[in-house]
Amino acid sequence: MKNKKSGLLLEIWKGRYLYLLLLPLFLWLCVFCYIPMGGIVLAFKNYKASLGIWGSEWVGFENFKRIFITPDAMAAIKNTFTVSFGRLLVEFPMGIILAIMITEMPGTRVKKIYQTVFNFPHFLSWIVVSAILTNFLSNRGGINELIAALGGERINFLADKGLFRPILYLTSNWKEMGWSAIIYMAAITGIDPTLYDAASIDGATRLRKIWHITLSGIKSTIAVMFILEVGNVMNAGFDQIFNMQNDVVKGVAQILDTYVYDITFQGIPNYGFSTAVGLFKSVINFILILVANRTVYWLTGEKMYG
Amino acid sequence: MKQTFKKRKKRSLVDIVCTVCLTIFALLIIIPFWNAVVISLETETAYVRSPFSWWPVEFTLSNYEHLVESSKLLLSAYGATIKITVIGTLGGMVIMVMAAYAFSRQFAGKKPLFMIMLVTMFFSGGMVPMYMHLKNLKILDTHFAVIMLHLVSVYNIIIMKNGFESTPLDLQEAAMIDGANDLKIFATVMLPLQKPLIATFSLFAAVGHWNNWYWPMLIINDMNKVTLQLYLRYIIASSITTARESLSMDGDATFAMGIQMASVFVVILPIMLVYPFLQKYFVKGMMVGAVKM
Repeated sequence: MKNKKSGLLLEIWKGRYLYLLLLPLFLWLCVFCYIPMGGIVLAFKNYKASLGIWGSEWVGFENFKRIFITPDAMAAIKNTFTVSFGRLLVEFPMGIILAIMITEMPGTRVKKIYQTVFNFPHFLSWIVVSAILTNFLSNRGGINELIAALGGERINFLADKGLFRPILYLTSNWKEMGWSAIIYMAAITGIDPTLYDAASIDGATRLRKIWHITLSGIKSTIAVMFILEVGNVMNAGFDQIFNMQNDVVKGVAQILDTYVYDITFQGIPNYGFSTAVGLFKSVINFILILVANRTVYWLTGEKMYG
Repeated sequence: MKQTFKKRKKRSLVDIVCTVCLTIFALLIIIPFWNAVVISLETETAYVRSPFSWWPVEFTLSNYEHLVESSKLLLSAYGATIKITVIGTLGGMVIMVMAAYAFSRQFAGKKPLFMIMLVTMFFSGGMVPMYMHLKNLKILDTHFAVIMLHLVSVYNIIIMKNGFESTPLDLQEAAMIDGANDLKIFATVMLPLQKPLIATFSLFAAVGHWNNWYWPMLIINDMNKVTLQLYLRYIIASSITTARESLSMDGDATFAMGIQMASVFVVILPIMLVYPFLQKYFVKGMMVGAVKM
């Protein structure tokens, strides 16, 4: 017993410099991640500024119950899932398709030029991208000028309830699809090139090679990325929606994150309720990630982190 | 390029479909940018006559001049963003690189410590508790808070850790046999070896700080402390009134859309300038993480 204890102490002493290297990170985690989590108690309180967090009255799960009887909150939850699943359906495959298209292009220089173009918007904020695309999609923007020139009827893309979500998916692809393709391109370069040669000898067409070698070669990457996305379902894209929405489309655009922002910073704030909505989101998000991670591990034997 | 085509004898349908699709995608990205450039270089009359043109019809720099003249705000916002980006990148990288190296090694308690770090990637108290926390610390409305909230990316620590793990162990072991301690191995063996990786992630961090706007928007009220991204939001929200005022005051040919687009380019100028040269490092950095996954 004593031996074991001194063995552990020895181990710790051996790692002393490594702990030192970790110290700043854990100080930061403590001050800017874990201590703020203490504020979660707000969700179980009827917060009164005059009484402070600890002085305010405990109300148990009242704030959470209120989520389910507040129509706006329920609509935001529903929209969060709808938008996220729309993204999984429309946005997720685009990175894969783009990666395959780029790798199928002959010539490294061409590939590089395309990639340079596709990756650029990733490095801009949604404030910038939204300014550029809002102009382009506006009533007198490029797309509508083209429609008008072809004799069509102008479409108010950004103030149309039916079109707003598809616009979200498309503009998000506009910004991020090049970047999300990189991971798949990296996976494709990891595929054994002799497989392609062997398939050619067997007379496989290019489409068959793409299907049987490229796609099957990157399927574990696809699985992992899919998990990441599913785990992220509760985050339906605050940055984008916050900058692109307007009052007309609020009904279809309001997600949980924008809802929390609205109830906290517009009108009379109820911090207890705001925190409860945020926590509700965080907890579901966390559970989804854990479940998703387990699933991938079980399916492919690949652990995402660690 | 010609040679590869010859080797293949003929362009297959796959080549054609890929080329056509990729070219359309690329144009869809380039044209809105170009349109924004053109508008920022036009007069209002030209814009009203034809909002979309391939070339500025009545070329003018007045939109940019207006931005430079009318705004001490722009200069202070530039200053704030540069300060935040430099301090945030340096500070954050020191913390992240040290942690990434430590986690690439074996030590007692590695697993629980890693979990403690990992959890913060997926779970947070949310916006309101964080806001209250900053209020308690009395650092609302400070650049310090802006920097601290965006200082560390756990995801990037993990990717850098993978990078450190992929370096051959022999070098480290050789140093250990020579009696070097972990700090020395880190500083003299790993840091020089991983310079490209560290440079790449510094770029990521810098771009992140440059584009950071969410928490700054929530906590910065003082106009003198506004960052570039907030400045752009402010311009977009108020450019209509600003333009009207400036028109009535000096009859200047500035207009809302022109000023908006001009400010977009003023804000992204540094990124546009460095991006073409640094693109490949960004991609490499992304690949480091991707290989293990």
